[in-house]
Amino acid sequence: MKPTERKPLGLVFFPAFDWALSPTHPEREERLLFTRDQVIEEGLLDLPQIQEYKPRMASLQDLDRVHIGVPDIASLITDAHLVSAGGAITAAEAVFKGETERSFALVRPPGHHAMRVVHGTRGFCAVNIEAVMIEYLRKNYGLRRVAIVDTDVHHGDGTQDIYYHDPDTLFISFHQDGRTLYPGSGFPNEAGSPGAFLSTINIPLPPGTTDQGMHSVLDELVLPMLADFQPEIIINSAGQDNHYSDPLANMAVTAQGYARLAAKLKADIAVLEGGYSIEDALPYVNVGIILAMAGLDYSRVLEPDLERAPVQSAATTATIDKLIKDWRGKWADRDRLRAEALARAGDFWRRERDIFYDDSQILERQQETIHYCKSCKGLLTISTESAGNRSVEKSAFAVVLGQDSCLVCRERGKDALLKAKRNGGHQHYILQDRRDDSVEHC
Amino acid sequence: MLIGIDVGGTFTDAVLIAGGKVAVQVKVPTDGCDLLATVLKALDELLQGVAVSDVERVALSTTLVTNAIVQGQVEPVGLFIMPGPGADWKGRVPGDPLVLSGYVDHRGRVRQKAGLDELAEACRNMPEQKIFAVSGKFSVRNPELENEVAQSLGRQMKPLNITCGASVSGSLNFIRRTNSAYYNAAVWKRFQDFAGDVELALTRRRILAPIYILKADGGTIPLATAKNLPVESIFTGPAASVLGVMALCRPESSAVSLDIGGTTTDIAFWKSGAPLFDAKGASIDGYNTAVRTFRLRSIGLGGDSWVRRDSGALEIGPERKGPAMALGGPVPTVTDALVVAKLCQIGDPAKAEAAISLLSFPGKSIQETAAEIINQSAELIRTAVDKMLAEEAASPVYRVADIVQPDRFEPELLIGVGGGARGLAPVVAQLMNLRWQVPEYAMVANACGAALARPTLDITLRADTAAQEYAVPELGLRRKLTDRRCTLEQVRQLAGEHLQERATIAGIAVPDIETTFEEEFNLIRGYSTVGKIFSVGVQIKPGILVDLSAEDSMRGDLK
Repeated sequence: MKPTERKPLGLVFFPAFDWALSPTHPEREERLLFTRDQVIEEGLLDLPQIQEYKPRMASLQDLDRVHIGVPDIASLITDAHLVSAGGAITAAEAVFKGETERSFALVRPPGHHAMRVVHGTRGFCAVNIEAVMIEYLRKNYGLRRVAIVDTDVHHGDGTQDIYYHDPDTLFISFHQDGRTLYPGSGFPNEAGSPGAFLSTINIPLPPGTTDQGMHSVLDELVLPMLADFQPEIIINSAGQDNHYSDPLANMAVTAQGYARLAAKLKADIAVLEGGYSIEDALPYVNVGIILAMAGLDYSRVLEPDLERAPVQSAATTATIDKLIKDWRGKWADRDRLRAEALARAGDFWRRERDIFYDDSQILERQQETIHYCKSCKGLLTISTESAGNRSVEKSAFAVVLGQDSCLVCRERGKDALLKAKRNGGHQHYILQDRRDDSVEHC
Repeated sequence: MLIGIDVGGTFTDAVLIAGGKVAVQVKVPTDGCDLLATVLKALDELLQGVAVSDVERVALSTTLVTNAIVQGQVEPVGLFIMPGPGADWKGRVPGDPLVLSGYVDHRGRVRQKAGLDELAEACRNMPEQKIFAVSGKFSVRNPELENEVAQSLGRQMKPLNITCGASVSGSLNFIRRTNSAYYNAAVWKRFQDFAGDVELALTRRRILAPIYILKADGGTIPLATAKNLPVESIFTGPAASVLGVMALCRPESSAVSLDIGGTTTDIAFWKSGAPLFDAKGASIDGYNTAVRTFRLRSIGLGGDSWVRRDSGALEIGPERKGPAMALGGPVPTVTDALVVAKLCQIGDPAKAEAAISLLSFPGKSIQETAAEIINQSAELIRTAVDKMLAEEAASPVYRVADIVQPDRFEPELLIGVGGGARGLAPVVAQLMNLRWQVPEYAMVANACGAALARPTLDITLRADTAAQEYAVPELGLRRKLTDRRCTLEQVRQLAGEHLQERATIAGIAVPDIETTFEEEFNLIRGYSTVGKIFSVGVQIKPGILVDLSAEDSMRGDLK
C-alpha cells in the first residue's frame, strides 16, 4: 500500500463493558462508558482520517513470549486480558501492514504494572499488553529498537521490569513521585541492569505538576532522548491519570496538555493505561489524544470545569528544572556510565526484591540473576516464591534463553534448570526459550 | 385491499394486494420532474375496475426527498448549532451554520446556557428566514437548550418549520443529528407541497383510505406524521425491496438478499427473519446523517448494465446506456445474455442473440459468450457479498463475550428479487454454495414491500438515577425520575409508555413493542454505588401486515 493511502489513525476501541476486577473497583465496566459517549457524540468514528478496528484475541503463546506465569499464565488471567493484549497487537499491525500512520489501542484492562513473572494481579494489571505487543512485533516483523514513553501517573514498574536488561528498548517513564503514590518506585537510580544501563529512564515528578511541567520534561528530556536513541518505533503507554481530576493521584495536567503531548510525541502506537476520572477527564483526554494522533484540530477540546485546574507552584517548577538538569548530564555521559557499570558487574549481576500484588494480596520474593557472556547477551535465571492471605504458597525457578543466546549459554541455562530441579526447593521449573518461542515446564 | 407504490429512478411500480395475493401490478415510467403525475398515473392504472371504497391503505415509497436534495431543490435553512468545546465541526455539516454558545455535557448537565442574545442578533440579520434547524451537542441527553432556542425562534421569526436535532434522532452523534435536522428542514416545504397534492388527488378519486409513507428503516408512518419528518423518507427504494423480501419469503434462516434491478444490485443481510440495520446512518450528499437504514450495499450491476470488450476482456457495467437490445436498446446488456441463455423471457430473442454475437470471438458460440457474461456478472455480485461479509465480521464490538463467542453471520439462503433475479440469483447461489429462492412477484417486491410495511416508530430513553432524571429526546422531554432505585425492567416499561405516547400523537397503533438495545451501568463515587445509568431503545416492531402466499417461488437446493 502506498503511504498516501494510509489513514492517519487506526483506533482499536475496546471498553470491555462486561468486565471488572470487582463491582466497585476503579477498573470496572463503565470506565470507558463516558469516553464512548463523547467519542461517538463528537462523530469521531465517522472521520475519514480514523479507521476503527475490532480487536483480535492474543494467544497464550503471545503472553508466554513475555511472561512467566506461576504456575502458568492461563490460570492467572481472564479472556478480557487476551482481548486487550490482542487489541494492542491489532493496533500495531494496522501500522506495520501499512494501513494506518499510527494507532491508538483504547482498550482495557491495562497492563503496565504486570512484570515478567506473574503470580497474580497488581496495580489492576495481570498482562503487560505493551510488552506482549512489542514482542509480537519483534517475532513477526523483525522489529528491534523500541522506545516506550509511559505517561501514566503511576510508575510503569511492570514494563520497566520486563525491559530492565534490554539495551534495545528505551523505557522512559514520568510519573508522580513514588514517595507519594503507588507503586512506590520509579526513582532515577532505577536505570537498568549494567548491560542496559540508562535504557531505563525514570522521571519522578512532584505532586501538582501541570501541563507546563510535563511539557518541560517532554521538550527538554524525552524528545531529545528519543532523537538520540533513534528507535524504529515509539510506543506511548498512554495513562490519563495525571489529570487534575483523577481520584487516585495528585497531578494537574489537562486534556489540552495530554493532546499536545500526543501531537509532539508522534507515537506510532499509543496504548491506554490508567486514568480513573472516568466522567471528568477521560472523555476529554481521549478525544484530545485521538484528534491529535489523527492530525486534526484538538484546540477546542476543553473540560467543562477547566477553571478547577491548579497552577504550578514555583517550588514544583524548580524541582522539575533540577530533575531535567540532572538527567541531561547523565544522559550525555551514558556510554561511559554503562561501560563502568558493566565493568563493575563482572560475570553476573543480581537483584533481590519483594514485589507486592495489591489486587491479589500476594507478596512475592524474587531473585533475578543476569549471567553475562562475551559472545551473546547472556542468560537470565529467576527464583521466585509468593505467599498471601488468600493464596497458597507458590514457588518457581525459571530460566530465560534469549533470541540470540549462544549455544554455550543455552546449555548453561538448561543445566541451571536441571540443577535447580535436582536441588529441589521450588514447586515449578520453567524454561522460557525465546529462540524457539516456547515455554516448557520441566 | 392494500396499495403499494414505489417510485423508482426509472420506473414506478404499483401493486394492489387483496386476499393475500398480488391482484394487480403495474409499471409506469417515472417522470422525475413531476412525481405527483407519476404516482397518479400508476394509481389510475392500478384501480381500473376496482371499487375504491375497498382500498384500506395506500403506502408510498418516493424518491421525492432524495431527488430534491440531489437536484438542489431545497429551501435555505437557518442552521443554529451549539457545539460547545470539542472536535471541529467545520466541513462536516452542510450550509453555513451559526454557532451559539451554550452546551450540555455527556451526563446531560447544562454547562453553559444557550446564547439567546446571540440568537436574537442573528435573527435580526435574517428577517426573511422561515425554515430553521437547531442542534446542540448531547441534546439527546438533555434537549432543554434546543427547546429554548426553538421557542425563542418561534417568538421572533414566525417560522414555518424548526427541526431540532434531538427530535430527529435519539442516538449519540452530534454531527449526524445536525445533518438530519438540516436536511429535514431543507426538504420540509417541498414535502408539504407534495403531501398536500397527494392528499388532494386521492380525495378527488374518492380514495379516503389513510396514506402512509415508507421510511428508510422499512417502517411506514402516516402522511400527516411524515410531514414533520420528511428526511425519514429518503432512500426508501432499497428499503421497499427489503420489505418486499420479507413479505414474499419470510426468511427464517440467515440469508443474503439481492435486489437485481436495471442498473444496480442491492445486497442486504438477514438474521432470524429480520434485516440487519446499518450501525450508523445514511449519508446524504456526502454528509453523514442519523437516518436509520438497513445495512445495504449497492453495486453498479443490473440487467441493463452495458457489456463490452476491452482488449478482449469482458467489461460489465456500471454504466447503463439504455434498455437491453432485446427491447430495442443501443448496446448489449446483461439481460441480453440472460435471454440468450433462456434464463429470462423478454423482448425479441433474435435481437438478444445479435447483441451477444457482437461480443463473441470466432470459434465461440453465442451461448458460450452469454454464459461467460452471466458468470462474470455473478462473480461481481459474489465479490461484493464477500466484502460485505468480511466487513460484518470486522464490525467492532465492545464486550468481551462478543469477542470470545462471536455471533457470526453465516448465510444459508440466497434470495433474489427484481428483474434480473431469475437469471442471476441461482448462478450467484451456486458460486457461494447456498440454497436459493426467487419468490413469485419478485419483479415487484419493492411495491409489495411498500404496500405491506407496518407502521413503526421508535424512541430512546436514558435514565440517570443519581441525577434522578430521564430524557426522551425524540419527544424533546426531560423529567424527574421519582424512584431512585428503579430497575432496568421499570425503565423499559417507562420507555414503552413514552413510545405509546409518541404513537398516539402520530396516529399509529402499537401491536408489539421491541427493545432494540439496552444498557445498564453503575455510577460509583469512591467505592460505593450512587446510582445507575440506563439506556433503552424501543420500537414498534417492524414487519409486514400480511404474508403473501408465494407458492410459486422458484427454489434451488445445494447440489
